[in-house]
Amino acid sequence: MKLNGDLIMDEQKEQNNIRNKKSLIECRGVDVFYGDKQALFGINLDIGEKEVTSLIGPSGCGKSTFLRCINRMNDVIEICKVEGNIKIDNEDIYHPDVDVVELRSRIGMVFQKPNPFPKSVYDNVAYGPKLHGRILHKDDLDAKVEKSLERAGLWSEVKDRLGEPGTSLSGGQQQRLCIARAIAIDPSIILMDEPCSALDPIATAKIEELIDELKDNFTITIVTHSMQQAARVSQRTAFFHLGKLIEVGDTEKIFRSPDHEQTEAYVTGRYG
Amino acid sequence: MDKGNKMDDQHIVTSFDEELKDLTDGLVSLGGLAQIALRNVEQSLRMNDHDLAKQTIEADKQINALQLSLEDKTFNILAKRQPMANDLRMVFSAVKVSLYLERIGDMCKGVCKRIVKGDLLNAKSPKTIDALVNLTKNVQQSLDLVLEDYAQGKAQHALDVWKSDIKIDSSYANILSAILEDIKEKPEAIEALVPLFFIARYLERIGDQATNIAEVTHFIVTGETLGDDRKMEVEDETVF
Repeated sequence: MKLNGDLIMDEQKEQNNIRNKKSLIECRGVDVFYGDKQALFGINLDIGEKEVTSLIGPSGCGKSTFLRCINRMNDVIEICKVEGNIKIDNEDIYHPDVDVVELRSRIGMVFQKPNPFPKSVYDNVAYGPKLHGRILHKDDLDAKVEKSLERAGLWSEVKDRLGEPGTSLSGGQQQRLCIARAIAIDPSIILMDEPCSALDPIATAKIEELIDELKDNFTITIVTHSMQQAARVSQRTAFFHLGKLIEVGDTEKIFRSPDHEQTEAYVTGRYG
Repeated sequence: MDKGNKMDDQHIVTSFDEELKDLTDGLVSLGGLAQIALRNVEQSLRMNDHDLAKQTIEADKQINALQLSLEDKTFNILAKRQPMANDLRMVFSAVKVSLYLERIGDMCKGVCKRIVKGDLLNAKSPKTIDALVNLTKNVQQSLDLVLEDYAQGKAQHALDVWKSDIKIDSSYANILSAILEDIKEKPEAIEALVPLFFIARYLERIGDQATNIAEVTHFIVTGETLGDDRKMEVEDETVF
């Protein structure tokens, strides 16, 4: 068991080493500030391609802030400043020449509360491909909508309801619709910010099953407050605390025998 | 670290702490019953005390009942709490330790049955009986050490117990040879001698169970299993 305190760089480099997996996302020395308040401190984290990485930690630890650095969602917060280096597929995503809209078209995002557009089921999924001008013909768009809904495990449930409002679906269906909407633009990365926190156990199980299937084609990073969910769906887990990355490693290791005592205290429910 | 997020030995959910303590206390009690059974075995063997042996056979029911109750508690904790990390290791290992202790109870019962049904005096082999008593004492020592470790949440004696088990195995082999010699020399005493085989076997197996508990305790404390490499190292150190 290591003592409390900052991890030294050597250890962090060792932990960041992703075995047998290419790192699609590489973060080095990422600091985030909201005005004068620093929210993230020197985060070094690699995220492997086509695997699921869970970000866990108590509320306010910075995991969602970190997630939103990956698709530059923090840019929309005026007082937010991001420093350090984040590369996706070796490209510095904070370089001034980067087209943020194009960047976000490569990164799908699913939020805590299902947020379908006030449009039909069909239009929710077709919206992204149309917006980015990627599909021009109706037949191709129909095929893309069907394929996306199938991949989201929703097609059989909504194929006869494509014209109905997305908001008429159940909560779990709405969340899978949002996932279908996210993958319709063929992203390489899907970010999920507590995607099951508003869902019942059955809908949660369906989303988890879906995550397991999607990981073969997408790099998924998920923020979750459920330790069991992190253990079930992810191959790697990163524990954040007070804006610092305390420990990252194979999920099995983190939940069976973490190296850091703060991680152990958190995953066993000993934070008072 | 701010006060709102301080680390603590206690869980936020205090009833979880109570359940874990209840489970640990139960395991310590079960270990105590196994120790008593083994102490009775030693005395029954040494004194050819059939009454004590019968009491020990009867007392095994208590061990079995407590083991079942602990299994039930473990099952409930897993279902209700979904423990993680050191809690998970502790709860998972509780199932194994309780089974090892229950098996020790069974083996003590087995020895006592041989004492009651056999006729140790007619074996006319006081040296073998002495060797069995010594074997029992060695096994007792191992069990005492591993249960002390378990109760204190330490793994300081794991490797010592492992080394002791190699000596126990060696004593067991010597006892078997001695019984075989006795049978050759005194074929008329074969019916009294054969139960000694079983007694030796039960005692050797109790030593194995103590070693198993040592391994589990090491896993609980360190999160790592005692690898085969370390075992081979110990075996090499202990070759006679």
